[in-house]
Amino acid sequence: MVLILLVRDYIDRMLHDIPGMKVLVLDPQTVGMLSVVYSQSDLLKKEVFLVETMDNASSSRESMAHLKAVYFLRPSADNVQKLRRHLAMPRFAEYHLFFSNILKIQQIQILADSDEQEVVQQVQEFYADFCAIDSYHFTLNIQNNHMYMLPTVVDPPGMRSFCDRAVDGIASVFLALKRRPVIRYQRTSDVAKKIAQETARLMYEQESGLFDFRRTENSSLLLVIDRRDDPVTPLLNQWTYQAMVHELIGIENNKVDLRGYANVPKDQQEVVLSSVQDDFFRANMFENFGDLGMNIKRMVDDFQHLSKSSLNLQSIGDMAKFVSNYPEYRKTHGNVTKHVALVSEMSRIVEERRLMLVSQTEQELACTSGQAAAFEAVTSLLNNESVSDIDRLRLVMLYALRYEKESPVQLMQLFNKLASSSAKYKSGLVQFLLKQAGVDKRTGDLYGNRDLLNIARNMARGLKGVENVYTQHQPLIVQTMEGIVKGRLRDVDYPLVGNHFQQGRPQDVVIFIVGGTTYEEARSVALYNAANPGVRFFLGGSVVLNSKRFLEDLGEAHRISKSSTTI
Amino acid sequence: MATRNRTPLYRKYRDALRHVRSPAGAPSSSGGGGGGPLIEMASLLRSDRTYAPLSTDDPSASSRGAVMVGLPPAWVDVSEEISANMQRAKMKMGELAKAHAKALMPSFGDGRDDQRAIELLTHEITDLLKRSEKRLQKLSMKDSSEDSNVRKNVQRSLATDLQNLSMEFRRKQSSYLKQLRQQKEGQDGVDLEMNINGSKSTFEDDEFEDVGFSEVQMSKLKKSEAFTREREREIEQVVESVNELAQIMKDLSVLVIDQGTIIDRIDYNIQSVAASVEEGCKELQKAERTQKKGGMVMCATVLVILIFIMIVLLILKKIIF
Repeated sequence: MVLILLVRDYIDRMLHDIPGMKVLVLDPQTVGMLSVVYSQSDLLKKEVFLVETMDNASSSRESMAHLKAVYFLRPSADNVQKLRRHLAMPRFAEYHLFFSNILKIQQIQILADSDEQEVVQQVQEFYADFCAIDSYHFTLNIQNNHMYMLPTVVDPPGMRSFCDRAVDGIASVFLALKRRPVIRYQRTSDVAKKIAQETARLMYEQESGLFDFRRTENSSLLLVIDRRDDPVTPLLNQWTYQAMVHELIGIENNKVDLRGYANVPKDQQEVVLSSVQDDFFRANMFENFGDLGMNIKRMVDDFQHLSKSSLNLQSIGDMAKFVSNYPEYRKTHGNVTKHVALVSEMSRIVEERRLMLVSQTEQELACTSGQAAAFEAVTSLLNNESVSDIDRLRLVMLYALRYEKESPVQLMQLFNKLASSSAKYKSGLVQFLLKQAGVDKRTGDLYGNRDLLNIARNMARGLKGVENVYTQHQPLIVQTMEGIVKGRLRDVDYPLVGNHFQQGRPQDVVIFIVGGTTYEEARSVALYNAANPGVRFFLGGSVVLNSKRFLEDLGEAHRISKSSTTI
Repeated sequence: MATRNRTPLYRKYRDALRHVRSPAGAPSSSGGGGGGPLIEMASLLRSDRTYAPLSTDDPSASSRGAVMVGLPPAWVDVSEEISANMQRAKMKMGELAKAHAKALMPSFGDGRDDQRAIELLTHEITDLLKRSEKRLQKLSMKDSSEDSNVRKNVQRSLATDLQNLSMEFRRKQSSYLKQLRQQKEGQDGVDLEMNINGSKSTFEDDEFEDVGFSEVQMSKLKKSEAFTREREREIEQVVESVNELAQIMKDLSVLVIDQGTIIDRIDYNIQSVAASVEEGCKELQKAERTQKKGGMVMCATVLVILIFIMIVLLILKKIIF
């Protein structure tokens, strides 16, 4: 619960010292950051009886002088302007301003200037500028994520805002952890290098006083890598609970939107999947679909048993017991319905898109070699009518990423077949992917066929056989983590910024993936942390990807690069 | 966990900028000695630049939106009353627990005083809880202002607390009664045995006597009747209190949020507020359109035209004749 607890702690401190009835004013991003760690009932316990956003707070004219206002905002120029207007015509008795990141001096001056009524009681920086979706996984929900695939010259201000948000987010994570890290980045990625260098400048030069934590005994590490080093993981279909829900339906800040789907009960249109509040989810979020099915069946049986016994009220004592246990009963009922709805919806999608068949080929493309067999498999699936367009696109991409250099004729055949059968497919998308993330651009050993050690390991794995064909893929990040722990991360591939050096093994490592993380990688990180208590790994990214989002970003970048003639 | 306090820096800027803004001296309390009547008048007119942050009873200031130390709305008093009631109920529950413990201890006396004290306390607590619940229902008056959100949330939090309190009360009561029953059963069991033995012996005697109840049997019967009556009364009390509290629970459960569901999410609540405001807007627009298109308008127009025509005809008739 580490990251979640950090943000909760910040919020607790914000609300704790202010007595009386309060109103909390947020901006659209801090709403997301707050909602994943704090619930409405928690707020009510802290006497926060109204939550507003910046926009509807300014449009309302009603004065509520019996409330004290607590503002929790990102220190953006837009927010400061809006805040000026609020301060010029104050609606509440007192104003307590909390910013989620470092304020610039001009911003403080602007605010001081507009505070004519002197309603502001405190201005603080509480560094909770990230969305802590799980204990070791955070995201920044950056809107224009596709920027990372484009060179800076295409859209300098867009790239600037992307990098600034990333640097702000990473800095706030380290401030919350109270660490100042040694920074390494992936050599082959310009955007990773830029972000790493700017973070270093912030931490060691501009705000060195703020980051000076005097903890040199157990140093920490920030590793900034690029999504394009491992393009395979976001393209694969997933079979573990949390990753699967995100892949097939979509999770946004731990919320799942089931509104477009038929056969979903009325009160389950939108559900929450939080490992903090939901015990069943916490126990099963990393389980594969088969085990999950069994556990759900057991949960439903238990619940049926419970509800049957409650129907059997014989005496007053039984009735009294039922009445007093009713809230628990209702909560369990809601939980069971939620999980059953999710799993049945996913089963339906698996059935409809023939995902068992498709995913088997995908996993083989990702994990085993054998070009001819792979070509056969992909071609037969492309010819299969019931495979959807997006699945066909993914298969061809996975094939192309693996067998890029072998047999270009067959690759061309696949491209043509894809273009002819899929109406939505924008031509050149696969080639664009290869240009971005092809074998020449990648640093890490994605398929385990560069390093002798990895080849040997692969052969051993092939001989041993795998227990589950559908979950045999291991994301590249696992190798990276092992490299960090054993000190085998090569300086040539992952250079250090500036003249820092790593003393010994780091205790806290934050891996930031520019371009987005996936739930499969988050699962690997969580499992690795559980198995190796000596080091703590945190994973964060600009967004949380599923295959749909990754392809959208790719498509957007492709469209922009085609239309821009300066490249 | 690092934080940084920017308040001192902010205050410094604020003070500096304030001095820059009004150097001619609004009548500052820190000795505006040089202020002539002209300057004072000027500062009175620009009341939004007064030194005091709060201004009361200034009609012009309200239009400019200066902060009013307004009285909080009336429902805040209601909510405070409810929470005061709940505090009192909590205290009484502590007393009740002590009284329960005392009554359960074996004693030589009748225990009737303890019983009465317990009864009194129980009634008081149930009364307080019921009253709080009624006031809570009153809080949910429909009000289309933004204030209604605050009200709703206050209501929710009080409802959660009230529900927890009443559950605790129920649990204490039921455990006390269970223990009491166990104790009484012990006594009664012995009594019953004696009764059975007694009746057996007297039956044997009866063979040679009148078929009628003897004195001893009458008194024994009376005693057991008294016991049954008392037990009945106690059970009725229990049933009544269970019913009352079940009623409270039922009413409260619609107010209380289920933790961990979507309703408990802050972003969902913000969205739904925005969505309902939008819906309201759309409904109003639709209503306006329907009204405009409505048959009423047509009818009214037609009637007015007809009236004019009739008037004209009337005038023509007068003229012609």
